[in-house]
Amino acid sequence: MSSVVLTGLGKVYGDGTRAVTDLNLEIRDGEFLVLVGPSGCGKTTALRMIAGLEEVSEGTIEIGDRVVNEVPSRDRDVAMVFQSYALYPHLNVFDNIAFGLSLRKLPKKEIERRVREVAGILELQDHLRRKPRHLSGGQRQRVAMGRAIVREPQAFLMDEPLSNLDAKLRVQMRAQIARIQRDLGVTTVYVTHDQTEAMTLGDRVAVLKRGILQQVGPPQELYDRPVNLFVAGFIGSPGMNVLGATLEVGDDERYRVRFCSQSLDLPDSVLRERPALRRYAGRPVVLGIRPEDMEDAEIVGAEQGATLRSSAELVEAMGSDVLVHFPVDTKPVTTDGVRELVSDGGVVDPGPLGAAGGTVLVGRFSPRTRVFEGQSIEVRVDTARLHFFDPETGSSIWHE
Amino acid sequence: MSTLLTSDQGPAAGAAGGTARTGRPKGRTGTRGSLRVAALYLLPAVALIAIYLAYPVVYSIGRSLFDRSGATFVGLHNYAELFTDPRTQVALRNNVIWVLVAPALVTGLGLIFAVLTEKIRWATAFRLVLFMPMAISLFASGIIFRLVYQEDPSLGLANAAAVTVHDAFLEPSKYPGARARDARALVADHGNLTTTANYGRGDVVRLPLVGLSPQKLPRQAAPAQDLRPDPRDLRGVVWLDVAAGGGPPGTLGGGKRGMPGVTVQALRDGHVTATTTTGDDGSFAFPDLSPGTYTIRLPASNFAQPFRGLTWLGPALVTPVIISAWVWITTGFAMTFIGAGLSAIPRDALEAARVDGATEWQVFRRVTVPLLSPVLLVVFVTLVINVLKVFELVFVIAPGSAQADANVLALQLWQVAFGAGGGDQAMGSALAVVLFLLVVPAMLFNIRRFRRERR
Repeated sequence: MSSVVLTGLGKVYGDGTRAVTDLNLEIRDGEFLVLVGPSGCGKTTALRMIAGLEEVSEGTIEIGDRVVNEVPSRDRDVAMVFQSYALYPHLNVFDNIAFGLSLRKLPKKEIERRVREVAGILELQDHLRRKPRHLSGGQRQRVAMGRAIVREPQAFLMDEPLSNLDAKLRVQMRAQIARIQRDLGVTTVYVTHDQTEAMTLGDRVAVLKRGILQQVGPPQELYDRPVNLFVAGFIGSPGMNVLGATLEVGDDERYRVRFCSQSLDLPDSVLRERPALRRYAGRPVVLGIRPEDMEDAEIVGAEQGATLRSSAELVEAMGSDVLVHFPVDTKPVTTDGVRELVSDGGVVDPGPLGAAGGTVLVGRFSPRTRVFEGQSIEVRVDTARLHFFDPETGSSIWHE
Repeated sequence: MSTLLTSDQGPAAGAAGGTARTGRPKGRTGTRGSLRVAALYLLPAVALIAIYLAYPVVYSIGRSLFDRSGATFVGLHNYAELFTDPRTQVALRNNVIWVLVAPALVTGLGLIFAVLTEKIRWATAFRLVLFMPMAISLFASGIIFRLVYQEDPSLGLANAAAVTVHDAFLEPSKYPGARARDARALVADHGNLTTTANYGRGDVVRLPLVGLSPQKLPRQAAPAQDLRPDPRDLRGVVWLDVAAGGGPPGTLGGGKRGMPGVTVQALRDGHVTATTTTGDDGSFAFPDLSPGTYTIRLPASNFAQPFRGLTWLGPALVTPVIISAWVWITTGFAMTFIGAGLSAIPRDALEAARVDGATEWQVFRRVTVPLLSPVLLVVFVTLVINVLKVFELVFVIAPGSAQADANVLALQLWQVAFGAGGGDQAMGSALAVVLFLLVVPAMLFNIRRFRRERR
């Protein structure tokens, strides 16, 4: 077990395509770091460079205290779990797991002991003599895990290991991976495009976009304090609502955000947290509202300056909560930079999409709501938890 | 694959290839629909198979049970005679050699080339070159190799190369074929020429040689002169005792020239004690000999015949030579097939092995080859079938004198049934049936594999 340090890591392919740019990350000994981002963001390339399956174009990779740029994969002492599992089709489960150990010429008894131990952890004891093609997806996934665990490597590298499983199994295996990693305490780099996996598994999460690291931090920090629209949109499900708005200062020195006919008052706490917001007085900003920060006013009660009026366009009952889609009048967010950030992040497009010519917001309401489609509604917004972004750069508005 | 399976190599090939074709339509006729329509659709195929496949096979089997004239039924007599015929036994032995050596060699080479061409640039160009021989008719290939293995180094590429390499490491002798003028004074023994008389210090040894055209002497050769004895050394002269000007044999003068560069040894009690080399005028001297008597020897290396290469197409080498031609032709086929199999191997598994700690060789040995083994097996078996039917190459490459030594079943069949002095259709049919029976197991194996893969 040891730390993995990436310094100025970059990858340019032979045809000039740039996959990773100046990636700096320090993954501490025993830490579970998740690399997350949309497909094509370079996260898998970064992982493959750590594994030694891709050449490093720029920067260095250290595993332990050793720079491994020129060290072949086999000598890096890392174990990788592939998205496809990459089991050896001609070997049975036992030999698949034992493969790495037998290459190291370990005594037969030792191999037998370690494989059986790992098979016990992963509940594969009954399948050791079977070939991979006779296993279910979940079993194959566990064999792939076993192959990594049994080697007791310095680090685990996992490339979307759960994406080929069905939803239910994925949740189970997610918990199992988290447990195993905690028990073994092996440094782990885990690549996924699924923000839920990232949030639930990672000690820290690194968000990548087009090969560039956006933000790295504990999951809650990414959720609470995203550095820009991209991270804000990527973390959280359903995604954050984004709309163009103007920051106004009233005669009473109170700040409010206005989008066309509606406005929300800003509590003092917001201004204390985001002092830089004062500089945007009278100027356009991008307003972000998380679906879970909205609630049916019928349940929590309406409050002047913290309530939006609209009509429910679509109601999706999820059981635990109800997603309500409703339009509001706004000017669309037009800046190119912002649009790009927003669309990459997969948030609701802030353009003029709604039936009423505004933006459709999604609110996550309590299941006790009585809202039905077509009904006019009042939506209570937790104004203390509003997010603000610069419309030119897409960066969060905090201190500067 | 289909080109190999169906190409007509020898008369039995049609029969053997046919089993593959009949395998497919079987069991395909559905029970639904009108039987008449089904029969109509099947008619062309059935007719073709019946006329060109079933009938000849049945006829051949029947014919093999009659005598040469076809009038008398002789039962298995032809087969009994066949297996006691020494020519057939040679053919069988050669077929066994072919089957043991050629398919394994080609599969191995194909694997190596497939793996190597996968890792290089211009891979397609290399594959194209390697595959090219498949596009040449077997007869033409045979003629190419017949020329390559010509014995005369000025005609055959193989021997030209062999001689060049040989002479680069072992200098050819200067005076091939030269011998003593007087075979009693200078005795030939294993190519060495040794004086019968003994000499000591102060003597002059005169060694006239013949058996060489004066034109073959090197340019620097100077007229040989008689030497005065000197008590301090043993000296002598080696000259070519042939001259345009004449002069009595065994004497110097008359424009006779010395032979430069001849190795001369002084022997005492049969052991070489001193060695020297003649000068431009053929003279030599042993200055530091201890007193005593010596015989003088001109070692065989001076006169050895030049290396002329190997008799490739002689009885001993003819089969390996033909196999080498076949390897040249077929390797491209094996490479293409194995290459296709190789590209179907999941990349991930190879990468997983590397991360698991395998060297490239271990990845190859423990992952690539096992995953390729089904393909390797099919290639191997297909090649075995082809090898059993080999005919043209043997027919073209082996010269008439060596054809009996290079004989294989298909060639023997042709010779017996159609060749000079042959015309024995009964024996030919018997041979065809034997060949057919040899091919069948390999054929069945392949068909079963194909079926299993399709499922």
